[in-house]
Amino acid sequence: MENPRVWRGRDQAGQKAGLASGYPELDRHLPGGGWPSASLTEILTTQYGIGELRLLMPALSVLSRETPPQQDFSEPGWIAWVAPPFQPYPPALQQRGIDLSRMLIVRPKNAGEILWSAEQALSSGTCAAVLLWPEMLDDQGSRRLQLAAEKGHSWAIAFRPLAARHEPSAAALRLELHSSAQGTRVHILKSRGGHPTVINKLL
Amino acid sequence: MKSRACKPPVLVRGAAPTPPAVQQDLPFPQAEPSARAGEQRSYRRAPAATPVERLWFCIWLPHLPLEANRSSEAATAIVEEQHGIHRILLADAEATAAGVMSGQAANAALALLPTLLLEERSLLGEQQALEGLATWLERFSSFVCIADRDVLLLEIAGSLRLFGGLQELRKKIARGVRELGFTASLSIAPTPLAATWLARSGRRACIRDEANLAPALRRLPLACLHWPAGLCEALAGMGVTTVGDCLRLPREGFTRRFGTEYLLALDRALGHLPDPRDSWRAPERFCADYEMTEEQSNRELLLNICRELLLSHEQFLLARQLGTQRVCFSFFHLKAPATELRLGCARAERSAERWLELLGIRFEQLILPEAVIAVRLRSGIAQPLQAKTDSLNFHGKPAAQQRRFSITQLAERLIARIGAQSVQATSMVAEHRPHYAWRSQSLLADWSGTSLDTPAQYVQRPLWMLPEPALLPSDSGYPVHQGCRLRLINGPERLETGWWDEDGISRDYYTAINADGRHLWVFRNRNRASSWYLHGYFG
Repeated sequence: MENPRVWRGRDQAGQKAGLASGYPELDRHLPGGGWPSASLTEILTTQYGIGELRLLMPALSVLSRETPPQQDFSEPGWIAWVAPPFQPYPPALQQRGIDLSRMLIVRPKNAGEILWSAEQALSSGTCAAVLLWPEMLDDQGSRRLQLAAEKGHSWAIAFRPLAARHEPSAAALRLELHSSAQGTRVHILKSRGGHPTVINKLL
Repeated sequence: MKSRACKPPVLVRGAAPTPPAVQQDLPFPQAEPSARAGEQRSYRRAPAATPVERLWFCIWLPHLPLEANRSSEAATAIVEEQHGIHRILLADAEATAAGVMSGQAANAALALLPTLLLEERSLLGEQQALEGLATWLERFSSFVCIADRDVLLLEIAGSLRLFGGLQELRKKIARGVRELGFTASLSIAPTPLAATWLARSGRRACIRDEANLAPALRRLPLACLHWPAGLCEALAGMGVTTVGDCLRLPREGFTRRFGTEYLLALDRALGHLPDPRDSWRAPERFCADYEMTEEQSNRELLLNICRELLLSHEQFLLARQLGTQRVCFSFFHLKAPATELRLGCARAERSAERWLELLGIRFEQLILPEAVIAVRLRSGIAQPLQAKTDSLNFHGKPAAQQRRFSITQLAERLIARIGAQSVQATSMVAEHRPHYAWRSQSLLADWSGTSLDTPAQYVQRPLWMLPEPALLPSDSGYPVHQGCRLRLINGPERLETGWWDEDGISRDYYTAINADGRHLWVFRNRNRASSWYLHGYFG
């Protein structure tokens, strides 16, 4: 049982407290009662603008305003946006409680630079969360992001197309978002220390 | 014409009251100048504020064209083109021994000494050598002045005590100039012009007292004054060959024949008129070249050269307590145009190590079209370094400063690789027009972003904004998005503002929902009722 390759499920991952997502129903299904901190979360969507940002906003506003207890810094962290598909609209972000003075928008020119920038931001230890829209992300890339997130105690969120659901990934949490006229359904594909589930009508 | 207009009016007055015809022997009345000099001292811009003794140290470099451009130990002569013929301007000792003289045609010189190395005169090289020497001389005086193409002046009255007296200072400067590889003629006099003339005469003059100045100058031949050849010839024709002869001429006649300019020069040299000089300042920008003997394409080596340049850059800035936000490397090739590499930093920085780190990120991506023959480092505008104050730290926690510092480091790293325009911070603007309600700013310009701390009082805004509103087709008055008619669930919110600056809007904004449940922010122009636009997604 001491062999590190033996997966011991919930007791290993469950020790770390998650970051409350602001959606009690989602928190209930996530190990640690919230978003896994210091690791990679993947969100798969058919298209952008269906509520993927609304899902994150409560947690991001907490990160943006409060000093994370697990870190010894006296200032809250920055939030970095790497290669967003549209312009994140500052007035709307401020309405949702994001501190704009600690927001960094990075627009790299190619896939390699997106990954590099995100890795730099994650491992620098200054960003509480890094949101990235990679053009492509393979298993190796996701592992690099996961390691950088662990190193910098930062939360990495990668937004990817739905087609990526069959590709292997090192992410601690993978969610799939489906929107319909009734509301947005969240499907937990993979959750380290948790179970795959479907939550209907979350947003 | 202009230079005359610039002269202080006092000078004209000084020249005007010359006594009429009787004036023969003593054109410089002794009683008047003392009173006048006292009043005119205040016109002197430099160097000391109090009208105490002033002493000028002149360094004349007669062999500067040769010494600035010399590239080998072999017999060398500098040539200059005059009327289409290359003539020898200056020859070194070995060439002179062989009979090469200045003014000779280059061919004649080569006939005398076939191994003679001929170098074209480079005025730029001379200027650079002179500036280098001026920079070095700044350690002896706060007032160094480049008076001519081959003359440097130092005001040393204020430096005498610090350097242990006149003789010590003179020895130090003479030794230093010699060690830097220049042949110099030095002299000291109370006025800059007198010091220059004495130095050019080749005498090791050292005059501290103004009373001794006139006798010393009187003996000087007119050639030391570097006056135009025509003027010197005319004077020689009158039997005037020394400064003393010149001073004996009647002022009025001298002015009438040769203009006031030369009379005033004599007055200045004797200290009867002020002679303000401009102090030379070492440039506040660093620029250094590293030239290689042969082309190099080894990246490791090039990086080492950049490192050398950055280290001397650091020394340059350290001496001035400055830093800079930008540096630019140019890699020169033999045929292709130079490759430029610009680096930026969020805070003024001088540490070679930090610049090297940024350089390392960019250098690995740099494409050099061919091998490199020289590298140049130019620094941007120098700024005073912002000193950091660290607070006392009893708790073992890193201070807030530390974290701020590292976000700038992160930004610098990102900027170094992907460019400053790709890394941005945002802030709010108090404005009702949605596309003006925010702005993005470069992190280099003002990295400490500010946010308006006003609570958002208007209705919900979308999280995603399109760069430009997109025209939507419409179906019986309703907007259509991706082939499906939108349902308006919220609105209208009328925004009608900005009429004062050409870019006014008059729109009704609605929240719309499509068949997938996607929330969109759409608007319709009031004046053109039929067109719908998509402006954002609620994300």
